[in-house]
Amino acid sequence: MKKEIASFKVNDRAHEVLITPNMTLSELLREHLGLTGTKNACGAGECGSCTVLVDGKPILSCSTLAIAVQDKEILCIEGLSRGPELHSLQEAFIDAGAIQCGFCTPGMIMTAKAMLEGNPNPTRDQVKEGLGGNICRCTGYVKIIDAVMGAADTLSKGGK
Amino acid sequence: MRVLKPFDYFEPGTVKEAAQFLTTHGGKAQVLAGGIDLIPRMRIGKKEADYLVNIRKIPGLETIEASGANGLKFGAMATLHSLEASKAIQDDYPILYKAIHQISSVQAKNMGTAVGNICVATPASDVATALFALGAELTIEGVDGERKESIQKFCVDYGRTSLKENEIVTEVFLPRPPAGTGSAFMNLIRTHADIAKVSIAVAITVRDGVCEKVRIAVGAAAPTVFRAIKTEAALKGQKVTHEAINEAAETAAGETKPITDLRSTAEYRREMTGVLARRAMEKALQQVKA
Amino acid sequence: MTEKLSVVGKRVPRWRAHDKATGTAKFLADTKLPGMLEGKILFSPHAHAKILKIDTSKAEKLPGVEAVITWEDVPNKLFNPNKLDLILVHPELEFKDTYVLSEKARFVGDRIAAVAAVDAATAQEALELIEVEYEVLPAVFDPMEAMKPGAPKLHDFAENNISVHFDFPVAWGDAEAGFQEADIVVEETFRTAKNHICQFEPCTCMADFGADGRLRIWSPSQHAFLHRRKIAEIFDMPEGMIQWITPHVGGAFGKYGSLSIEPVCVALAKKAGRPIKLELSREEDLFATEPRQRYVSTGKIGLKKDGTITALQEKIIVDGGAYYTHNFSTTAVNMGGFLGLYRCPNVAAEATCVYSNVHPTGGVRGYGNHEGTCMLEQLVDKAADKLGMDPLDLRLKNAKKAGDPSSTGIPMETCSFEEMIKLGAEKIGWKEKRARKKEDGPKRYGIGIGIAMDVSGAQPFNIQHRNAFIKFNEDGSVNLLLNAADLGQNIIGAMAQIAAETLGLNYEDIHVVTGDTDSTLYDIGQHASGGCYQIGNAVINAAEKAKKQLLERAAKKLEAAPEDLEVREGHVYVISDPEKTISVGDVSREAMYNFEGEHLNISGQGSFSPVQNPPPLSAVFTEVEVDIETGEVKVLKILYVADPGRAINPATVEGQLEGAIAQSLGYVLTEEYVSNRETGALESDNLNTYKVPSTLDMPETEVVLYEEPVPSGPFGAKGIAQGAMIAVTPSIANAIYDAVGVFVTDMPATAERILEGLK
Repeated sequence: MKKEIASFKVNDRAHEVLITPNMTLSELLREHLGLTGTKNACGAGECGSCTVLVDGKPILSCSTLAIAVQDKEILCIEGLSRGPELHSLQEAFIDAGAIQCGFCTPGMIMTAKAMLEGNPNPTRDQVKEGLGGNICRCTGYVKIIDAVMGAADTLSKGGK
Repeated sequence: MRVLKPFDYFEPGTVKEAAQFLTTHGGKAQVLAGGIDLIPRMRIGKKEADYLVNIRKIPGLETIEASGANGLKFGAMATLHSLEASKAIQDDYPILYKAIHQISSVQAKNMGTAVGNICVATPASDVATALFALGAELTIEGVDGERKESIQKFCVDYGRTSLKENEIVTEVFLPRPPAGTGSAFMNLIRTHADIAKVSIAVAITVRDGVCEKVRIAVGAAAPTVFRAIKTEAALKGQKVTHEAINEAAETAAGETKPITDLRSTAEYRREMTGVLARRAMEKALQQVKA
Repeated sequence: MTEKLSVVGKRVPRWRAHDKATGTAKFLADTKLPGMLEGKILFSPHAHAKILKIDTSKAEKLPGVEAVITWEDVPNKLFNPNKLDLILVHPELEFKDTYVLSEKARFVGDRIAAVAAVDAATAQEALELIEVEYEVLPAVFDPMEAMKPGAPKLHDFAENNISVHFDFPVAWGDAEAGFQEADIVVEETFRTAKNHICQFEPCTCMADFGADGRLRIWSPSQHAFLHRRKIAEIFDMPEGMIQWITPHVGGAFGKYGSLSIEPVCVALAKKAGRPIKLELSREEDLFATEPRQRYVSTGKIGLKKDGTITALQEKIIVDGGAYYTHNFSTTAVNMGGFLGLYRCPNVAAEATCVYSNVHPTGGVRGYGNHEGTCMLEQLVDKAADKLGMDPLDLRLKNAKKAGDPSSTGIPMETCSFEEMIKLGAEKIGWKEKRARKKEDGPKRYGIGIGIAMDVSGAQPFNIQHRNAFIKFNEDGSVNLLLNAADLGQNIIGAMAQIAAETLGLNYEDIHVVTGDTDSTLYDIGQHASGGCYQIGNAVINAAEKAKKQLLERAAKKLEAAPEDLEVREGHVYVISDPEKTISVGDVSREAMYNFEGEHLNISGQGSFSPVQNPPPLSAVFTEVEVDIETGEVKVLKILYVADPGRAINPATVEGQLEGAIAQSLGYVLTEEYVSNRETGALESDNLNTYKVPSTLDMPETEVVLYEEPVPSGPFGAKGIAQGAMIAVTPSIANAIYDAVGVFVTDMPATAERILEGLK
């Protein structure tokens, strides 16, 4: 198996990493860049915990090869807040009580971010649809949907 | 989470290059498109490959092109999301839209392709079921040039297609449904994030109350998605009465060869094929009337 | 409880919410120790087999492999992964039948060997190089078959694979006489679902023997101290030589009430002499960690014509799997739920716990009460049907009231089932919906109710002992030291609220230290919804002691008597003259830094051993739509009326109830733990096959908190989390019964089973 030095752009920063073709994007982030906010809960592409944005679109980093995203813009949960300043979605998840064990939270927030960019004023049903690929075992989703609706409201009023 | 076993990786720039690479490496190479099926299966050892051939850089494979009165073409790298978002598909091929739209994972739709989905050759593919009912025709390219094949000939058996080791599917063509066509897609699922226990797609063309043309596709009720040929033949030329539809639904149930697995039982799948076929035909006919 | 509360009862952010929202919260899989090796376990591919030979030489020779262990490398000592033998009044009923690694495989997934290597890929490769010669033995997968003479035997001591047969230890009345007295008797046999909690963080553990000879274990345990004692016993070490660190926990729901992979991880660390991380994949987590017991249970209820319950009886076959774990304790709790929910003068129950070559089971949210109550609640609806009574009226007729014994036998301080049921019925429009036309084409509509009482701990059956420690910092903030795993239920945040309220500080002033047996006082751990009620009382106790010291010091400064002072928002005031004030920080700092020689770090240790066990109460109403042609059930709405005593943080309490609604939905309808009938291997071994509900599967939900503070609770609070599924599950089953008359005895109630029932 060939090893090569590959360049990645993650959270607006350039990285060079020695990679092998069988390295997934989630392994790149977690094992090589220390970005462990992205979680692996199933490894089968079924739960959405490993969701990150590639060129703005939510994808499953457990089922994406790192080698195939070298030329892309990658955004993961660590890139969402700027220092102490949280993204509206993060604030809303905290305030609405949308977090319990927190293992699904980063993936949930990343999916929600992309959804709100495409549809800034979603209905509750649209939020449900938009998060259909992110499983949460703790919350029953009620407060997660509340949080996304709240963040949509903040963002549409000019929040970050 | 298990680590993927080692493999080498290749990104061809043309279909020909891909075909040549596949020829050289025979059965040891796998074509990678979205990866949503292949990578998880490789992780658990259900699929092995020494080489992955990622076709993402081949120009033109992402296009979706409505070609007027003839129909619509889309390429092998057109994602489920881009197909779902296509106005032409929403308007003219609503059952394909519906089959994709009801897939719950936005992420899977951003990554996965319809062609990849077909090539997995699972009988439980909702997308394939819709494509069967739409009379999809595939363009397949290899080192020796290209060939065209209908989707039902392409899906040979459970997990098996007519694709040779060194061929790839490059394009899917959907003929434009004639005026007077109604269609419907329905499935039964355990949760919204699951694959279907059984799915049905129907496209029926009616003139003066008589069935002029019909395709009835059934998913997850036989080793492959299949067209209920006997049912279609029985309906064609008939007046589409309630009785005719009920009878056709029963015939369709009889055409299944289902199995029992952890999602459902053979008996249930057979019986539900009848129920869904009836409901889908009724819904399609309502569309014609409207 | 008329005092004005300033922190308790507020929707403050949960503990460490910020870390979880930003991805900086470290779960074990996110953590690395210097020099750490990755471990992997070799699981048995056979349901029943004896190991004739294991050759590990090829694996050992693989570059990067540092240790390989088999049954020959681990202590020759049986244990029970369930901690209850350490605190149960009947420890003789908790059998020890498990080895760290086994010479005999008893289910597909039993632990055979383990490796440690420099990385996961090498460890994975090494597993494939271990050569095991098995003598495959006949296997039995069904408890009924397992009890027959001549069936394959799993454990030497268990004749006919029966580990124990027992009667409900605290039965009352005369059940036979009660049934004689009854006008009608309803009897049904149920087969409950063997459902897996599928917590989102796959089970992970780290272990390291330090140069000081002490063993450090990082594991998301619910019982750090009890599990430390277990490990000490297995590996023959003094408890003090083990430090147990509990990191962030990615969901537990009872799962970490058992030791899971920790013993293997410790054995690997011992052999390798290096830190080990052992992380299960989702597949491994599903097949190698404990789902619920399956009960094959016959429940019987006798009633008078007016609806008075005269007798209850339950006969249970416990399909507990290949090892004993929680068989006795969950089943005893099942009986408590079944027999103790309603007023009933005559009860009896018996159970037979049976081994077979299927995946061993453990304690999962609801812990037997979920299944026992569900069966009872369904029987009540069938009885109502037979009597021609509204099931709601039948419940009101027999509902317990304050002063009645709870299901644990302790008289209840409060109990307002009647008011809760009436409130819920009013809100959901019970009478109209029960009476309405129930058809629309192939669709049928129904509405159902389920009620439940759970517990606030395991008093009086287990030792229940909690501690907390509070110490003041110079700035007037405090450290609250306790050992409570935050499993997602926000126990830590709730404890900080209680401490702040008691001390007169702000929520932000409480810095919690938890999850380390070296720096916190003993705690029995998170089980039986006992955390909030029991630890909360220990925290109040600690806070009051610290506050006493604080006020004594402040009194001198303010030239007043301590009893004339009060603390509000970080300041001490003279009650009669609020102009005279001093900040808590000034008092605390002065106590540490002064030249008078009277030095003090203001602090307090609090303890709690309960006498009461106030049950949280639930009344749940569910509306469903059933398609009679497909058998599909769609849950339309769930209304949950809950009495948590006092909701310390209402958002947290609602979150527990909403989450439980989703879990019940999965339990009743879709979550099927399926093993292959020939091989015994788990087929539903990932989320593509084991289907938990997604956003799109959720009905409309409404949660109503009916708060009735209990005198013995911290600010009136009771437990809530464990019991939150219990009433939801039967309410769905009863709604289906109302809609289509199908009485669900086999869960999950899949479309296939409903359709079968309709025929």
